[in-house]
Amino acid sequence: MPTEVILPKVDMDMDAGLLAQWHVAIGDHVEKGAALFDIETDKAAMEVEAPASGIVGHIVAEAGSRIPVGQVVAWIYAENEKIPDLPPGGAISGDTGAAEADAEPQAGSRKEVAEVPQPTAPAARDSDEAGTENHSGDPRPRATPAARAAARKSGVDLGRVAGSGPKGRIQADDVARLQPVAAGPSTAEAGLSESAPPVDWAENQRPLAMTRRKGRAKGYPVLLIHGFAADAAGWAPLEKALGDEREIIRIELPCHGRSPLVRTGSFREFTRMAVRAFDDLDVEQLHLVGHSLGGAVAAAIADIRPRRIASLSLISPAGLGPEIDGATLHGIARATRTDSLAPWLKRLGADPDAISHDFAKAAMMARMEPELRAAQVELAGILFPDGTQSFDLSAAMARVEAPFKIVWGRQDRILPWRHALRAPDVAGLHLLDKAGHIPHIERPEAVALPLLENFRTGEVPAYQR
Amino acid sequence: MNAPAKQPDADIRELSYSEAIREAMGLALERDERVVLMGEDIGVYGGAFQVTGDLVERFGADRVMDTPISELGGAGVAVGAALTGLRPIYEFQFSDFAALAMEQIVNQAAKMRYMLGGEASVPVVFRMPAGSGTGAAAQHSQSFEAWFGHVPGLKVVQPSTPEDAKGLLLAALEDPDPVVMFEHKLLYKMKGHVPEGWYTTQIGKSAIRRHGKDVTIVASAIMVHRALAAAEKLAGEGIEAEIIDLRSVRPIDGETIIGSVRKTGRLLCVYEGVRTLGIGAEISAMIAESEAFDFLDAPVLRLGGAEAPIPYNPDLEKAAVPQIPDIEAAARRLARREV
Repeated sequence: MPTEVILPKVDMDMDAGLLAQWHVAIGDHVEKGAALFDIETDKAAMEVEAPASGIVGHIVAEAGSRIPVGQVVAWIYAENEKIPDLPPGGAISGDTGAAEADAEPQAGSRKEVAEVPQPTAPAARDSDEAGTENHSGDPRPRATPAARAAARKSGVDLGRVAGSGPKGRIQADDVARLQPVAAGPSTAEAGLSESAPPVDWAENQRPLAMTRRKGRAKGYPVLLIHGFAADAAGWAPLEKALGDEREIIRIELPCHGRSPLVRTGSFREFTRMAVRAFDDLDVEQLHLVGHSLGGAVAAAIADIRPRRIASLSLISPAGLGPEIDGATLHGIARATRTDSLAPWLKRLGADPDAISHDFAKAAMMARMEPELRAAQVELAGILFPDGTQSFDLSAAMARVEAPFKIVWGRQDRILPWRHALRAPDVAGLHLLDKAGHIPHIERPEAVALPLLENFRTGEVPAYQR
Repeated sequence: MNAPAKQPDADIRELSYSEAIREAMGLALERDERVVLMGEDIGVYGGAFQVTGDLVERFGADRVMDTPISELGGAGVAVGAALTGLRPIYEFQFSDFAALAMEQIVNQAAKMRYMLGGEASVPVVFRMPAGSGTGAAAQHSQSFEAWFGHVPGLKVVQPSTPEDAKGLLLAALEDPDPVVMFEHKLLYKMKGHVPEGWYTTQIGKSAIRRHGKDVTIVASAIMVHRALAAAEKLAGEGIEAEIIDLRSVRPIDGETIIGSVRKTGRLLCVYEGVRTLGIGAEISAMIAESEAFDFLDAPVLRLGGAEAPIPYNPDLEKAAVPQIPDIEAAARRLARREV
């Protein structure tokens, strides 16, 4: 059986994407994980990787065309597999749905033709490789038809859903749990009725979720560590601004994204898990980039594993002073619906109006798992008790020998930019105007500029600097 | 064994399954002089399972005819009689013996209307005592519903209650084409409410015997009652099974089954015929092809007869077909998402 390649869903609210460019041609041999094509959405551009190794037998979508999410764009055949003249099922186009009229009730012929395979974000495939969710190596998550239908309807990415059925199979109610309540009871009622569920803390040391995007040129990979209550998806704007030269590796912190819900007693324990993930990387040297809490974690990693750090770039990092807007952290961690999340999100950026309802909705979509929220509420209490940063990385930062830059937004209301003044003298400071706590989302190009400079410096041997 | 969905009531007349069939045949013999009964030992002896009983005394040997010990011959006479204007009901002693009459049923009765361009029809009814549980061993215990259901031109019904036995037999008599009615031998003594007078039960329409939201169980004949007993136990665990009595194998009622699976997302098919290539395969495939597919939240399960002849040993005979604990366990596994 050939493996189908579909246009994946890479944004929560995306239903189609521009297939910008093919990296392969018919007849090419590809390795699993190799870049197949580029897609661009309203928010992000990225490479889509081959779901299997083999020969590209058919390409059924042209570069430059807009393709619905989930539509097959190519077929990959095994080495010894005979490649037919026509792709399986003929050339699939997006408008076959209206081809057949309704037949008798049990025939359901329309569905047979029209239903496209369930979209799976490439990130989910990456996580397969990382062994975080699926262990089967299946190209698609194991899910029942009802779960797939529910995910299609609500735009939930099955790659993000933890299945409760046998072998981790995603059931319909696993998806239903992740769906935001569109027109439910009022916020006040929900606040009363919804109590935090008990968290089923992961006991075994499952590795942290990690996703990778291949780079086009030489240069050390860039390792991105997100902030509190964020996840790897938040890096998309900066990744675009950083260009496609270097490989991008994204780690998701414990209790975030697809990483396990591991209970933490302290910042030290929390960091240890990130160090373990770092040690598992088969990369000699890399550029370390961290935002906020992830910035503190990055500084700690750089302190523990200095020889593998080509450069260190921290964006609005934690760990340089006691103040932090604890109310916002808890507000975000607790929010169960878009309406209660949006006001807190608006405090993240310099311009509250930049946080649209759709942005908040997409953010809420990624946080619909009650256990994840409960785990993050507890984590906030441990790392930031009484609205205070309980850890100080200024000494660690002083020991950094690699090229080191700190980028901060002057309108940051979560961590005051003046904390940057406590940074050691080796660090270059870049204080951005018109940026709040998330400059990598608000002004990705302005953040990318000093970061790329930092990377280039880090790739020059130390004796030549 | 109680009649499903209906509790005995002082005002409600109860008959056994075989009495209900006899009443239907009596009504038909009274009402329509074209109706004749044929079969081995259905006259003075009253039928192998005493279903025709005293009908020969009431209507005479011209209309309740003992036929020679030749199923092929008897069935052929019945088909010929139907072609020439009579409304015969031919009784097999055991449905297993229908194998001897396949030519008449499959190649003649089922094909005649088609091959004669609609100029002729064969309004014959074949009554077939079927199923295991009587200690009658491998050649007298089989369930061939799926065999006959595979033949276009035939209609195949499988009543599970006395009320339906009468209603489906009268519907079969009114039908202009050949109808095969499977009567489970263990049901003959089952009592239940049977309305008086002439009424018909629609061929091709199943019945929901119990409503539930967690799992759909499609069963036929005796399996309906076993499924209901299993559902009763499951209800104590909070699992609400919806029981569909298939009633008709051909045509099959897709609408009811698809609607139920859309609701429950889980399907268990229970039937006594050999599991492979049986009724459950057809229902499973029908669901996979239907819009109910998108509502499936678990694999479809089938419980059917063992891949073996029905054994004579009573314990093995029981083990060869689905029993109440089997249905209970399978439905529980589905509801608890263990499959």
